[in-house]
Order: sequence, then C-alpha cells, then structure tokens
Amino acid sequence: MPVFKTPFNGYSVKFSPFYESRLAVATAQNFGILGNGRVHVIDLSPSSPVINELIAFDTADGVYDVAWSESHDSVLVAAIADGSIKIYDTALPPHSNPLRSLKEHAREVHGLDYNPTRRDSFLSASWDDSVKLWTLDRPGSLRTFREHAYCVYSASWNPKHADVFASASGDCTVRIWDVREPGSTMIIPGHEHEILSCDWNKYDDCLIASASVDKSIKIWDVRNYRVPVSVLNGHGYAVRKIKFSPHRRNLIVSCSYDMTVCLWDFMVEDALVGRYDHHTEFAVGVDLSVLVDGLMASTGWDELVYVWQQGMDPRA
Amino acid sequence: MSMRELVTGGAACAVSGSSSSSSNPLGALANALIGSSSKTQERLKEIPNAAAATSHTQFYDDPVAALPGSELDHPFLQSNAQGSDFIRGFRTAHDNGLADAWDEIQRQPHLDRVYNAAPAPPIQPTLDGPPQRVLSSFLHSFVDSSRSGIPLHPTPLPLLGLSQGDKQCIRDRSSIMARHFFADKSEEFINSQVNALLSSLEIDSDSHAKGPMPGRFRELEDYWNESQGILKPGAHAADGWVTEFSQHRAQHGDPDAWAHSFEQQHGAGGWASEFEQEQAQLTLVDQMRGGNIVNLAAIEQTRMLAHTLSQNDDPKFQNSKFLQFVSKMSRGELIIDDNQVKPASGSWATEYQQQFNGGASWADEFVHDEVSHGPAQWVNEFATEREQEPVDDQWVNEFSKLHVDDWAEEFGRQVGEGALGDSSSDNWATAYDEFLNEQVASKERSDASTGVYVFSDMNPYVGHPNPLKEGQELFRKGLLSEAVLALEAEVMKNPENAEGWRLLGITHAENDDDQQAIAAMMRAQEADPTNLEVLLALGVSHTNELEQAAALKYLYGWLRHHPKYGTLALPELVDSLYYADVARLFNEAAQMSPEDADVHVVLGVLYNLSREYDKAIASFKTALKLQPNDYSLWNKLGATQANSVQSADAILAYQQQALDLKPNYVRAWANMGISYANQGMYEDSIRYYVRALAMNPKADNAWQYLRISLSCASRNDMLEACDSRNLELLQKEFPL
Repeated sequence: MPVFKTPFNGYSVKFSPFYESRLAVATAQNFGILGNGRVHVIDLSPSSPVINELIAFDTADGVYDVAWSESHDSVLVAAIADGSIKIYDTALPPHSNPLRSLKEHAREVHGLDYNPTRRDSFLSASWDDSVKLWTLDRPGSLRTFREHAYCVYSASWNPKHADVFASASGDCTVRIWDVREPGSTMIIPGHEHEILSCDWNKYDDCLIASASVDKSIKIWDVRNYRVPVSVLNGHGYAVRKIKFSPHRRNLIVSCSYDMTVCLWDFMVEDALVGRYDHHTEFAVGVDLSVLVDGLMASTGWDELVYVWQQGMDPRA
Repeated sequence: MSMRELVTGGAACAVSGSSSSSSNPLGALANALIGSSSKTQERLKEIPNAAAATSHTQFYDDPVAALPGSELDHPFLQSNAQGSDFIRGFRTAHDNGLADAWDEIQRQPHLDRVYNAAPAPPIQPTLDGPPQRVLSSFLHSFVDSSRSGIPLHPTPLPLLGLSQGDKQCIRDRSSIMARHFFADKSEEFINSQVNALLSSLEIDSDSHAKGPMPGRFRELEDYWNESQGILKPGAHAADGWVTEFSQHRAQHGDPDAWAHSFEQQHGAGGWASEFEQEQAQLTLVDQMRGGNIVNLAAIEQTRMLAHTLSQNDDPKFQNSKFLQFVSKMSRGELIIDDNQVKPASGSWATEYQQQFNGGASWADEFVHDEVSHGPAQWVNEFATEREQEPVDDQWVNEFSKLHVDDWAEEFGRQVGEGALGDSSSDNWATAYDEFLNEQVASKERSDASTGVYVFSDMNPYVGHPNPLKEGQELFRKGLLSEAVLALEAEVMKNPENAEGWRLLGITHAENDDDQQAIAAMMRAQEADPTNLEVLLALGVSHTNELEQAAALKYLYGWLRHHPKYGTLALPELVDSLYYADVARLFNEAAQMSPEDADVHVVLGVLYNLSREYDKAIASFKTALKLQPNDYSLWNKLGATQANSVQSADAILAYQQQALDLKPNYVRAWANMGISYANQGMYEDSIRYYVRALAMNPKADNAWQYLRISLSCASRNDMLEACDSRNLELLQKEFPL
C-alpha cells in the first residue's frame, strides 16, 4: 500500500469525510519541539501506488493536529503549536491561505474535533488546560471550557448528541461536557496517569474510550463509570491516540509510543485483533476512513504516512 | 506589539472585505521594512457557503483573532517578539527555503566527515550557515551521532540567537512530551524524570524568564512535600498551596497577571533593587556555590533515566532519535547557554565513549554540570520563602520572575542570616559530602573498568590439556575468535603466563578489539615487565586508541628494555616523556642498526601518533623491505595511507596484500571497509565490514562503521538488521 514521506515529523493524519482517497497530514519539525510545521493534503490515486500531494501549507510553528470540516469539502482546520488555530481552504492557492488564524489559546493547541452532527462547529484542546468551541464564521471562540488542571490533549464530540463532548487531559480525568451547561457534567477519573486521547463509540452513544500514558485503553459506559466496561492491555508504552471504527461497533484502533498501531475488539476476551509494526519512531497519528470500510492511515515521527487496508501489511 | 502592528495599526486599519495590510500604504511600507512574506498578502476570505450567522464586519470586532497572518503580528510569546531573530528566520522561510533546509539536513554532511577521519576519532563538522539550519543540523547530527555510537565532539556554534521563547518552547515541550514516554514508571518517577530534565535545561539562568505555568509540573508538589519534610516537618499541609494555587489560577487565569500583581506589590523596580541588595552578598553566595547544594535526587533520577533507556532491548527504541534527543538533554549534554546550543562539558564525548565501552558513568559529568551551573536549588529557596512569608501569591511571583541564580543568591543570603537554622545547613553539608564521596567512588569505578580483561562466558576450552598450544594453532589458522577462547583458557589456568596473555592480546588486536587487547597486554606486562613484544604491542594499541601518553610510555619502555638500545634510554626521562624526545631516541636507534625492522615499525607508530603520515609511511615501507611477509605491517601501512591523503588504489593494494598473507585478519577487512567508505564507495565498504563482522561479531567499532555506511548508502532498510546484529541477513544482502 502507498506510503507518503513528509519532511517533518508526522503528528496527525485524518481522512476526508467527503473524498475517500483524500487525507490531511499534520507535521512538525524537530519532533514538534522547535521549528516549522506543515499541513499536507494528499490524494491516493486508485491506479498507481504513489500518493500525490495536492497542496501543502507552511506554518511558523509545528502543526499538532488537523480536522476536516464536515460542511465544506475543501476546508480544514489545523492546530498550531504557537496556540493558534488556522483555517485552510484547499481549493484556494497557498497565498490565499490560511483563511483565518484564530489566536486565543495561550499555549500549544493539541487536538481538534469537528462536530459531525451539527457540522458547523469544532473544538480545540490545548496545553493551556482549556477546551474552546469555535465556528468557522466567527473570529472568536464561542465558549471556553476551563476545568482541567493540566494540558488537555483531545476533545471528541458525541456522535448522537450534538451538544455533548468529552475531553481527555493530563490531569488523569476525562470530562463530559454539554455546551448548554456552564460546567462539566461528568468527571471520569479514568487512569492513574495522564490521559492522552478519548473517543466515543459510533454506535452506542454511552460508550467512551480513554487512552493513557499507563499503556492501557479503557472503555467506559457513562451511565456507570465506576468500573470500566473493558480494559485493553497490550501496548508497551503510552497510548497516544484512539479511534472507534465508524463501521464496526466493537472495533477500536490505537497508536502508541511503542511505535505500533493496534486494532482491538473490546467485547472479546483476546481483545487485540491486529498489531502493525511498520513505524520506526513513535506512532502518533491514526485514523479510520468513514467512507471505506477497513481503510486505515497512520503517521509517526519517522516522517512517514501509511495508508492500508485492515488486515494487509502497511509496508506491502 | 510587534513592529508590523505598530506600523499598520493592526487589523483596525484593514477594511472589511478588501485586503489586509498590503493594500494599506503603511502596510506596504511595513512589508518593505520588515520583509514581505506570502502570509502578509493573504486576503481575508469568507468561508465559501458558510452559514453566515454574523455579518462580515464582525470579523474585525476582535482585531487580534481575526486578522489573517496575524501569527506574524502576534507571536505566541509577545514578551520577546522582537528578540527572536532565530525564529523569524524560520517563520519567514519560503517553501523553497524550507525544502533547502530539509535537503541540507538529509544530506547529513557530518557523516561524510566523520568518515574521512576514520579510523581516527570522528571530527565534528564545522557548522555554519543560517542559524536555523545550524540548529536543525546540530540537533539531527546530535541524535544521529549518538545513534551510530560515534560521539560528537564539542563544537563552538555560531550565535543562534535563540530567544527566550525558543528556549522556553524547547524546555516546555520536551518536558511535557518526555512525561508521556517515561510515564510507564511510577508517578513519582516521572515527576523526577521531568525534573531532572528541567534542571538540566534550567542551567542557563537566562532561559528562566517568566516561565511556563509553574503549577503545570506536578513535581513541584512533590518537592514542596519533600522540602517541607526536610526543613520543617508539618509546617504546612502539603495540599495547602495546591488549593491556594488553584484559587490563584481561578482569580487570574492569565499568567501575565502574575507579573502585574508582582509589580503591584513591589513596584516595577522592586525586585531589581532587591537583587542589588543581594549582590552585596556575593561573597557569601560564592561560598555557597563552592559547597554547592546539589540535588542528589536529581542526579540519581537522571541516572535512572538513562537506565530506563538502556533497559529497553527493542532496537527500535535504542534508535529512536527522539529518545536520544531527550536523554541527551536530560543528561545536560545539550544545554542552551548564552544563546548557544552547546554540549554541556568539554569532556562528555570522551566520557560518553568510556561509557560506551562499558566504563564510566556519565553521572560524573552531569554532576560536573550541576556544580558549574547550580540549578535545582530553587525548590529549597521556595520552601524557605514559603516558610517565612506565607503571603498567598508571593511564591508564584517569585517563581515566575526570578532567575535561578537569584534564587541561589537568595538562598545564600538566608543561610547567612541563619534563616534556615544550623541543623539544615548541616544537612546540606552532609549531603554535599555524600555527593563528593559518590563522585570519587564512581570515578574509581570508571578508572578500574578500563584495562580489566573481560572473559567470555561458556568457554569450551576450559579443561583442555594444552590450551596454549591449541590457541597458537588456532591463531596460526586465523580462527581468531576461537583462538581467543583457547588462550583465555590458558591464562585462566596459568595467570602468570606472559606469553599466553601476549598472544591473547595480539589475537584481540588482530580481531579489531583494542580494549581487550590492551587489557590482555597489561596482564602480560604484569607477568613479564620487560617483554619487548608486549611493550611494542601496548604502544601500538594505545596509539590506535589515540592515547598518546600511554603509547609513549610503552614505546619508551620497549627502547629501555631492549638489549641493543637500552643504553640510549635516559633514566631521567621516565617521569616526563615528551614525544619529541622519544622520537629522537628511536631515530638514533634506527641509525645504530638500520637493519632492525622493529625500530622502523616503532617509528612508524610514533609518526602516526604525531600525525606525520608521510614519515610513518616511509618507516613502514622500510620495515616491509626487511620483513615483506609481515601481514600486520602491510595492514599498518594501509591504515596509515588511509589516514593520510593517498591514492585509493595504493591503500587498497596494501590492505589486499595484508589479506592475501592472512585471510582471516579481521582488522584488515574492517580497514578495507574504511578505505572504501573514505572514497564514498559505501556499498563496497558495507561488504567488507560485514565480512569483518562475520569473522568477529564482537568488533563493536566495525558495527558502528557499518551503520554509518548503511545510512550513507541509503540502505536504511538494513539498519534494523545492523542494530539487531543480524549477520545472517546482512551477509545474504551484502555478499563479498
């Protein structure tokens, strides 16, 4: 399956919700510690094994995450390490981009999630311990959610309830929020260590997964979060990102500082379904295609983006 | 406010729906003055088809957030927006500039240069060019060099112009990221890891401007608890300040507020005058620094960090550039000081090498760093401060405003005033003594570790009736690794057998393992202090390791104990050997008996030591005329040629001569590889290294050279095989 080489260290990869062959990749120089960033928009061509770059946008600081707009097929938002969020339109030439730069976060923006149901707003999670709610047509954020006591690494919208989202933080909690409420509605002290990622199950609006530096992934039922529904052990180091499958209820994909990408079925005893060992540095970005069942993508600090069909060898 | 914003008046000057600064005459001027980038010409565009809940003009309600390209006008770190030439170099880079920079990094010129110097120790490339490239190349060559196991030598870098903001980025980001990785240990462990890393980075007091949110790092809490325990048990509830801090956070939210409230409390010049007061205490402070308050815990934790790294057997981890980068920083090997990124101490490369050879602990040098820069005391200062003045916001101000050195001084002042009480001063004194003892002990350990012969496990020749004879036979056949085992069995049986040790040493030397060769030869010399062959071999091995003093000692010893030349040696020279004296004596010896090949060999070795390669080549050639079948001489000649600038054919011919005479001469195979690599023929060099390693998989140097050649030949696909020392695969891939 095709491979794309990025000049900087990969940070995040996302499938377009509109085109099955299109992806956006967030990258940062010097491991995101200091230097530039670049957003790549790439296209898989069905015939050749080559990945084409459609367009790339340079940024003055590293790009930690990227999210496609759910309402405009050419628009994407990028999380920049300098605390800004930049909005790009891939249909416009580079000099017309970014459309907008939203600068409110005081520190690195680490995670973005576009609302899949309302399709008009997105969340940003930042190392300034806050989550912010934005729409494309406003220059400032609509809301700031400030309860976490340490970096917030990711935020994720509930797929059914357009006003509900979850945030994962280094303060070892996952918080559930309803944007109509002033504060968080639920605090899940999910792990003993920092929580780096969370995601909602796409079929059961009560199930949420959390991934932690403690190497584990835990599945929670928000109706009874005292005990996790399932604990997935198998990664050798901190789990960096998790994503529920849009196609299979029980399937979850994860990537980790142990340099592997893993597939899990959280309902069976031997939960680990597949392990992909193709990255040679930390695997920090992973995504599953909404449009093609089983199509996966990953990126890592080895400056490579892999796209492959589940069950195949990413390097083959 | 940045200059551009002052000139353009920010977004307020922009007109709705039209263009940004470039349509504004002043904006154009600003572009001309400051330099235009594509981003300054960006147009603010409505999102196509976006549901317009608000009118256009609303975009401009908030000039800060709405202006496209505002990243140029509103850098993340406002406080030093104008100071960061370095980052501006990054930020104004056009696409091509980035691509160039990338190509530069990819080419990795330093590796070539490392090669050119082989087998002499690698020479650090001169880094020049635009600052951002220097940093990038430096970081990459830094991690690459540790990856290939060849230490980088300290290099004076040009001024990089790293701003406080850049340093802060490096510091904050690497510490947050490191927490993710090292956190598979206990929470306490992680916190200390991060602290170890931070203390290294905080070595430069300048980098400690108004910092990241201090409350961000949980180790503060730990240190608070700890220091409370040490200084005044039960003075405050441990979680007291946490609550207080949360309250403070809730009140102010914005970290800048600390600065304001500090200024409110003390007046803008308040702490400056305070600082001046403290200057008066400098004498005392220096005293305190002499008896530095070293954070023993931090040292220990840093050691554990390296341990953690080394514990993971997965070669992928050993090769992770990021891990090596972080671990370098946490060891204080990379510091940002005086606007330069530089290795922390002049000797770390050597120390690192020793460590690599299973010797010294780098903790020494970390300690050394601590002594010279003295971070980490702030915790104690903080504790003291807190104890004295439980004013709520004050510590935050202190923490965010003061420099590390100021804390040290503050601490010194308070000790002078007896604020800590005698008992705690004594604690520090004791702790410092312990630290000193530890340092001495580890130094001894490291000294002892060089020159100690390490025996193989599971030696089948133990119990052999005549292992010496067997060893000699194996050596003659060129089965060097087998011969090593047999000879080890011999010297285990007869530890006083100088000939056994000598043969063992020669076998190791031919097998390209100078450390073991030296260790064995030293045992041989113990058993027979005047054995000429042993003395010569020791001289050669030390020359190979570029240890001039030791080499001179043994070569002079050879002369002194030689029946013919002993009269030349002047006894008074023994204590102070100078190269020139020794060389002169050997030249006299050569005149005395020009037919003695050994003298010419020693001269050749001596000239290698002084890097007079032409003379060395002449000496070896003379010796070869006298002893044309001495394969080790052919190898010496080839290696010397490789060091000097000589035609490639000649070098290869001499090496080939050595190999023809002795096909299993591992060192000659490795030297062939080096010769090819020096000519840029990396594929060929790989084949020779692999052959050498097939004969002796323990030749660590050859593994390092192989790794470099693999990456130079863009055979990264085989790096894993190299790292896991998968000879089978390598031999299949690179047959000779």
